[in-house]
Amino acid sequence: MTKRLCIQGLAAAGLLASVAVPASAADTITVASWGGTYQEAQTKAFFDPTAKDLGITIKQDTTNGLDDVRLQVSGNAVKWDITELGADECARGSKEGLFEKLDYNVIDKSGINPKLVHDDWVGISYTSVVLIYRTDVFGDKGPKTWADFWDVEKFPGRRALSGSQATETLSVAALAKGIPIDKVYPVDIDGALQSVDKVRGHIDAWWTSGAQAMQLVKDGEVDMASIWNGRAGTLRKEGAPVSFSFDQGVLTADCMVIPKGSKNKDVAMKALARFVSPDLQANLPLYVDNGPANEKAFETGKIPQDRIKDINSAPENVKKQVLQDPAFWRDTLVEATEKFNNLIQQ
Amino acid sequence: MLLSLAQSALPIGISGIEKRFGGVSVLHDLGLDVAAGEFLTLLGPSGSGKTTLLMILAGFVRANAGSIKVGGEEIITMPPHKRNIGMVFQNYALFPHMNVFHNIAFPLKQRRVSAAETAERVERALDLVQLKGLGERRVDQLSGGQRQRVALARAIVFEPRIVLMDEPLSALDKNLREHMQIELRNLHRRLGMTTVYVTHDQREAITMSDRVAVMNAGRIEQIDQPEALYARPKTKFVAGFIGESNFIPVECRNGGVWHEGSNLRMKDPAPSAGRHLMVVRPEKLRLIDGAEQTGDVNALPAIVGDIIYQGDSFVCYATLKDGRQVTLRDYCRPDVLAKLPAPGEPITLGIDAQDVVLVADQ
Amino acid sequence: MSIGSASLDPACGPDRGLNADALRADARRESRGLLALLSPGLLLVFAVIIVPIGWLFWLSLFDETGQLSAANYARFFERASYIKTFVTTFKVAFVVTGACVLFGYPLAYMLSQLPRRAASICLIFVILPFWTSVLVRTYAWLVILQRKGLVNSWLIDLGVISQPLPLANNFAGVVIGMTHIMLPFLVLPLYASMKTIDVDCLRAGMNLGASPAATFRQIFFPLSLPGLASGVVIVFVLCLGFFVTPALMGGGKVIMWAMRMEQTTSLYSNWGAGAALGVVLLAVTLALLGFFQWLLGARATGVWSQR
Repeated sequence: MTKRLCIQGLAAAGLLASVAVPASAADTITVASWGGTYQEAQTKAFFDPTAKDLGITIKQDTTNGLDDVRLQVSGNAVKWDITELGADECARGSKEGLFEKLDYNVIDKSGINPKLVHDDWVGISYTSVVLIYRTDVFGDKGPKTWADFWDVEKFPGRRALSGSQATETLSVAALAKGIPIDKVYPVDIDGALQSVDKVRGHIDAWWTSGAQAMQLVKDGEVDMASIWNGRAGTLRKEGAPVSFSFDQGVLTADCMVIPKGSKNKDVAMKALARFVSPDLQANLPLYVDNGPANEKAFETGKIPQDRIKDINSAPENVKKQVLQDPAFWRDTLVEATEKFNNLIQQ
Repeated sequence: MLLSLAQSALPIGISGIEKRFGGVSVLHDLGLDVAAGEFLTLLGPSGSGKTTLLMILAGFVRANAGSIKVGGEEIITMPPHKRNIGMVFQNYALFPHMNVFHNIAFPLKQRRVSAAETAERVERALDLVQLKGLGERRVDQLSGGQRQRVALARAIVFEPRIVLMDEPLSALDKNLREHMQIELRNLHRRLGMTTVYVTHDQREAITMSDRVAVMNAGRIEQIDQPEALYARPKTKFVAGFIGESNFIPVECRNGGVWHEGSNLRMKDPAPSAGRHLMVVRPEKLRLIDGAEQTGDVNALPAIVGDIIYQGDSFVCYATLKDGRQVTLRDYCRPDVLAKLPAPGEPITLGIDAQDVVLVADQ
Repeated sequence: MSIGSASLDPACGPDRGLNADALRADARRESRGLLALLSPGLLLVFAVIIVPIGWLFWLSLFDETGQLSAANYARFFERASYIKTFVTTFKVAFVVTGACVLFGYPLAYMLSQLPRRAASICLIFVILPFWTSVLVRTYAWLVILQRKGLVNSWLIDLGVISQPLPLANNFAGVVIGMTHIMLPFLVLPLYASMKTIDVDCLRAGMNLGASPAATFRQIFFPLSLPGLASGVVIVFVLCLGFFVTPALMGGGKVIMWAMRMEQTTSLYSNWGAGAALGVVLLAVTLALLGFFQWLLGARATGVWSQR
């Protein structure tokens, strides 16, 4: 889903105190994303080229997720014209009516998975949850599937799963039961919870942020973990003894929306159209491991062939993975998360 | 039965005490004997070492050298809680978290005295310091004088061999202080405990003590009964510290003492040689006429400066031949007032031979 | 009533009446003046404390559909995990407070016995950690305590243990990290109160026959209790609302109340869900403070009556 920090609460408190930005000039829009290396990559891939093409200024901000949008919209103090969110957040925000309708006469939706194209939100990029293990512990015979991960006798060792992203861990748990990747959705939540219950006692850490997941693996605190592919790629680049693949990965999308009440809706629409265009989408994997949401990006020829196999949303890799269904989680998230929290805290 | 300390009162023998703080020496080879049941006061200006000596006696400060014997027993290395010495602190040091009863019972509790006996002895001690019935009071509900009495009761309730008091009355106002001086004195007479009392107030020392040890710069200048200390100071410091004094330079030669060319008559044997000062208390000087300049009276010619009337007495400032100013004090008796000179008049000051006291002029 | 006492009635004589009026006017003027002086502070307190808390409480009464409901509070009883979180929070707060007392009391005692100069230098070292962010300090502990961290590596190299001790990503890690962060909050008030203890009181204790240990037990310790109590209250209350350290050091297994508030706020689309958690924490904290106050009040005749 996201790269959000675990310190959302603090940042949200800070936001309360901040003052709404006054109406900007028509040729200036503000875009919010997750910050860090991901937003730097987006700046080079999307924001700078768009600003140049449209002759506008794009100001940037960082977000902590749906709470921020809800706060701005309900407080009538919308300061962002476009913001990034996790796809399930987009689905929930849409239900709450927090976003402006998108004009698909302006935005070309071809090449984007229809599950990520909605009245008021559109997919922008993909993150995968993958299984990583340390090669200094297992050599190349480590756990390859989630069933392996669950098999504590065949693969003894210390384990970490996400405790903050219940949807991802439940998808993984369903895969661990042996459910084929095309049958995971709709997730049998009670079945998945039973699956979590089986491995629960063997989990040494339930991570709550991408940085934490990375640190747990990097420092050898755990021998195997679920982790976001961007973090896994960073570990590999840093030379950590780790191995991972997209087999049985859980593909989660990020999306972009125009918060309801944006004062530069029309310019924002044009900018968003540029962001999702194959041309700019193809830039993203040049800077970061998050794959483009528009599969036509792979046809532009901009992405080197040897790079394509490492991109999670490349057609070859998509086939190996489960796509998280935002619409499913929109309606089940609260109940599933409460039950999940209940379970892992026992 | 009253608290009785008389039988258990012990003499103290202090000898060869040295104390240095860092490189600074505050007590030098100090020796002092206190008789059993005696009330001895250490008197001196601040920094004279009197409080340090008291702290060494109580065991809070360790001396670099020396010996303290109480009833013949060496206590110099004994920790404070084993010394069995009662102490009254300058700021009383009452325990604020205990009421009056528990403050006074504290030393008994440490000695595992039974509850019944504790109650009885605390009651007696309260009675002794005239605080009967105030046992349940909190310390912060007491007046300064009452706190003083509680501190006193606490210091004697366990019948210590010695009682030390560190300027215990300095925080009280003048009237109360004078009242407490008498009371402490009477209490000491009744109980007879060996008492070492520290003060910088010479009047207090003279009022209360059997003997006074005057301390200066880490040494004892003189130990004597109060009357002797006043009448026959042995050093310039003692003469200056206790009471008012006129210092008149004199010269000793050929077995005689000379001032401005005339031989002084005195009862004490004259020092053989050297520069000395004659110590003359203002009330020992009197106005005399020529006829009296015989026998055992020394006559000093002077010029009257100023005369100040003080109700019961008057003070006369006069200038001697050598230009030195001296002070004369006398009661306002009609015969004296009748022959008071006017300012500027020449007069003769007389001093009896028995009152001539010489101290070395350091 | 006698005539004499009636004549003392201020309304009777004209002078008394005038005086009484003037006195009342003075009193009114004085209280108005005081109020005027206080008003900026009161206004600030009202604006930044009373209003937001009132709003928080108000929000907590509404469910997702905006209807007045007790759903946000009912959740605590319906979901066992909330009770569990609550218990965990108090457990952590108790253990951390206990550990702070264990380490902080001897430290404060040592500081209070040092000469003033040495004490102020040592105090700088006590306060120094305040200049580093809690996040940085917590990560530092992670580096020190994890399986391949400093402590375990040393112990294994020295042959003391063969398997790494589980010191991070669990309850122990949270307690160690939080104790380090909370320690100054206990030491500072405790040190301040120890400094006010009259040295002569301790000397008096020894002089009256109490050994050094007995003097400590019967005099020093009781007199240091007010400072200890305020330190304990500060640490305990701060622990109840702690977020960063348990989030990082707990390995997701030690969920405290503040973490739960963060989860709940992002999980539910209505603010009331998170607000209710805040209201509960506030109510419990206030109840605790009230309890401590009562405890202090009950002992006011004894230990807490300083001169």
